[in-house]
Amino acid sequence: MSILSCTQSLAVTGSGGSGAITVGNMLLQIAASSGLYGIMRRSVGPQIRGGESAALLRLSAQPVSGPDDRFDLLLAFDWLNADRFALEIPLDSASLIISDSAHSEIPDVILQSGARVIQIPLQQMAADISGGRVNMIGLGLLCALLELPSELSRTVIRSTLASKGEAAIEAALQSFDAGARYETSFQLPCPALQGGTTAARWNISGNEACALGALQGGVRFVAAYPITPATDLLEWLAPRIEKIGGSLLQAEDELASINMVIGASFGGVCSMTATSGPGLSLMAEGIGLAIASEIPLVVVNVTRGGPSTGIPTKSEQSDLNIALYGQHGDAPHLVLAPQNISDCIQTTRWAVQLAEILQTPAIVLSDQFLGQSRFVIPAPEPVVDSDSIARLRQIQHSASATPYQRYLINDSAISPMALPGTAGCSYTADGLEHTCTGKPSSIATDHHDQLDKRQHKLTRYAFGTQWAEVQGSGPIAILCWGSSSMAVLEAAERLQQSGQPVKVIAIRLLAPAQTAALERELQDVSQLLVVEQSHSQQFYRYLRAHYALPAQVQVYAKPGPLAITPGQICQALQALSGESI
Amino acid sequence: MIKPESIEDMETFLALSYLLETESSDRYEELADNMQAHHDPEIAHLFRKLSHYGEQHASEIMEHADGLVLPAVASWEFEWQNPEGPETTPFEAIGFHMTADEVLHIALANEKRGRDFYAHIAEKSPTESIRKLAAEFSAEETEHVQLLEQWIADIAHKISARPEDLDPPNIPE
Amino acid sequence: MNDLAKAKTYKSEVKPIWCPGCGDFAVLSALTKAFAYLDLDKKDLAVISGIGCSSRLPAYLSSYGFHGIHGRALPVAAGLKLARPELTVIASGGDGDGFSIGGNHFLHACRRNLDLTYIVMDNEVYGMTKGQASPTTKPDWVDSPLTPHGTGVRPFQPAAIALAAGASFIARGFSGDPNGMTKLIIDAIQHPGFAFIQVLSPCPTYRPEQKLWKNQVSSFPHAPTDNPLEAATRLYADDGMSSGLIFQSQYPAWQQTSAVTASIHQFEEEFIV
Repeated sequence: MSILSCTQSLAVTGSGGSGAITVGNMLLQIAASSGLYGIMRRSVGPQIRGGESAALLRLSAQPVSGPDDRFDLLLAFDWLNADRFALEIPLDSASLIISDSAHSEIPDVILQSGARVIQIPLQQMAADISGGRVNMIGLGLLCALLELPSELSRTVIRSTLASKGEAAIEAALQSFDAGARYETSFQLPCPALQGGTTAARWNISGNEACALGALQGGVRFVAAYPITPATDLLEWLAPRIEKIGGSLLQAEDELASINMVIGASFGGVCSMTATSGPGLSLMAEGIGLAIASEIPLVVVNVTRGGPSTGIPTKSEQSDLNIALYGQHGDAPHLVLAPQNISDCIQTTRWAVQLAEILQTPAIVLSDQFLGQSRFVIPAPEPVVDSDSIARLRQIQHSASATPYQRYLINDSAISPMALPGTAGCSYTADGLEHTCTGKPSSIATDHHDQLDKRQHKLTRYAFGTQWAEVQGSGPIAILCWGSSSMAVLEAAERLQQSGQPVKVIAIRLLAPAQTAALERELQDVSQLLVVEQSHSQQFYRYLRAHYALPAQVQVYAKPGPLAITPGQICQALQALSGESI
Repeated sequence: MIKPESIEDMETFLALSYLLETESSDRYEELADNMQAHHDPEIAHLFRKLSHYGEQHASEIMEHADGLVLPAVASWEFEWQNPEGPETTPFEAIGFHMTADEVLHIALANEKRGRDFYAHIAEKSPTESIRKLAAEFSAEETEHVQLLEQWIADIAHKISARPEDLDPPNIPE
Repeated sequence: MNDLAKAKTYKSEVKPIWCPGCGDFAVLSALTKAFAYLDLDKKDLAVISGIGCSSRLPAYLSSYGFHGIHGRALPVAAGLKLARPELTVIASGGDGDGFSIGGNHFLHACRRNLDLTYIVMDNEVYGMTKGQASPTTKPDWVDSPLTPHGTGVRPFQPAAIALAAGASFIARGFSGDPNGMTKLIIDAIQHPGFAFIQVLSPCPTYRPEQKLWKNQVSSFPHAPTDNPLEAATRLYADDGMSSGLIFQSQYPAWQQTSAVTASIHQFEEEFIV
């Protein structure tokens, strides 16, 4: 069954402290427990406390790819700073707004959507309950409207609030019941979801998924500096990595983080850091050192709006350029991008493996949307022998052989990397250009040989079919990468249903460019739509640099923080194919 | 800190004598490498020659140690007149574009300190056999002093000032 | 093989490119003697540096080494030590590398107190970039065209700052006293925590006047103290030219837990709906 069959998009908003995000998280968990799939995105203001916050959900009986074009329902606890999120919650005349009658002055920016408004005395109902909570009344109301089983809801409330004490749980449950019992004279603008599943599912965020993938890949050392929106990835890792024999250190800055990771990886422990744009900028020199000295490491970059401090709490795909070209000199390395939540696990795991095999840094480009959204997904296949990576680096070197050469040039272009503690293989890793033994050298031939080697180890490696996800066939194709692939895939499905099949190529391995493989996929394509979430068409320009594209190319590039939606892509594609008529 | 003149056993005295000769010879070798790296083969050669003499002297000392087991000694455990052993050239004594005359004067000063060091032990040691051997060593060092003085006199006619550095290190690149 | 012969085995085939008369030679020599004395297995020894004349040091040793980027020796060393606690890890570099571009790492390495030895060869000048003022240069030094009127800024006080930042072992050595330095390095390596040695190491090329240091440096008149207040008083009364171990105390180090008590599979179970 298609995801298009039936989905519900709901937004819960309120100024920070209203509990909108908590309601969103609980609603997703309740829906998941009742057999549904779903996604919850977060949009929050920059304030630490009291800023506007919105939980943006989409629920379905089938796996959900990403946000829809519009919202069926908006539950607003108040209207403070509503203008800041109005654009992120597209409403129309079919939408329903539930608002607290205590905040009856609904802003024009919301009203002009033409959505139907229902006022409910949420605050007053809460006041009638000792310790009553508006947000739990809202949750009860939503669960009733969505026909979610109330026993499941009670279980989720209990477990979520377990640390708050019995009195708080009791008040929350009473509030929930009050909301659930509220006599509604209206219905949801979309039918209730049918056909929940009993299949194994996970409720996981992209940041958690990247962190899990890293652990599966073998990462046992992390050094990092807090930065939004990567911090929760690190906070998930910190208490866990130490339980499996690893460690995570909060460094003094990103310069320290990347260099600590280099030191640990030089020592033979699979290592990574996580950051976002400003941190990636600070790490640029360190990543260059890892490239020159051939140290494996992984940087998970959870992209936010840029440049500079930009929009820390919101998503964009605009760190592509710095990930690809952030180093001075000729600096080949790996850049990968997960395409959805479960791919965050797989791609990060793959990045760790590739970095280890190819002895070079791998940058994983996630973003705030992937990182901070919670998804209910089909449970991934279990990973067999996740510790295998640690063994990749053990080199074979006998004392009787020729003297050890750390930067030896051989057919694979992958030199033997000795770990400290190995007798007879001592060497000094160097960011200076060097000879095969690591001795600093400014001689042209040494420079050329080592440049060639660092390039060849990437170009000679067989990356297999994982470089991209390819779906469909035909003369019309959409080319995309990273998180916008989710909206593209849903658009392709809609187009398919409307009798307009389209091929989708979603690139996972951005560097090294897989020129031959992509050109093979583009052989029969005559019309191409490029989709990306950046202002300056970074992805399109990258494609132009590395690949021969079909004659007719249209670019749909839109900066953040608004999500790219399936409908927008369908429109862009129709414009493209319309042109050719 | 041990005063060298207070050493009572022959083994320790020999170990110490060997140490200071090898320390001196090793240092000449390092200085030779350094001058070589700075493309001054003549001065590098001179330091290597001095290192070679030092090595020879060290092995002569070991001839006296035949059948003895020498203890491990470390230079910093002893009280020297200098920061290091008496015959060891300080790293900072050398310089870019130095002359042979300067090198020989450094070596001369080293040998004089060596001579005086052994002479002091020959006078002060509580052990007669050490006093006797130290006097022998001091006499040898005296010969080295005379040799070096002769050497210096031989090249006196071609003594020149340090050549000017035509590409000074702080010219803008 | 006596210690001198053994010390030579810690040297690599690469010959130093330091200027004749450079104080850094004495540091290299003292390091190898300390390694020999402690009988360290060179396969379990790593020397980490940043950029600058003195940061060339790892290449001259036969141990494992890392010659990284400017100012980042300490983070690389910290990462290595955390990953491989059984290794002896030494970080080294110059005053510009350690106190200017790497100054923040210096502060946090002092307070983190990992079991590292950090040797800074301080010549009060940037040598590799041809003679600019460094953080430890006196304010009225006018020989660099980059600061034609002098820096006008009070010099960085490495030992006092290390003390304030919480270093547990603080010493000052002098390249003109290689034996004294060897002893300090031995003590530093044996110290269970972050051991900082500032080495006064003259630059004969850009600071020829530093040849006079040998007449100015003297031993600290006191035995080392474990009292930070006492150490601070002594450091403020000192002209920066006294050598020896100044302060040593037992502070807790940043600890990692490494007992395996869970499996990745257990973490995966947390996600199950």
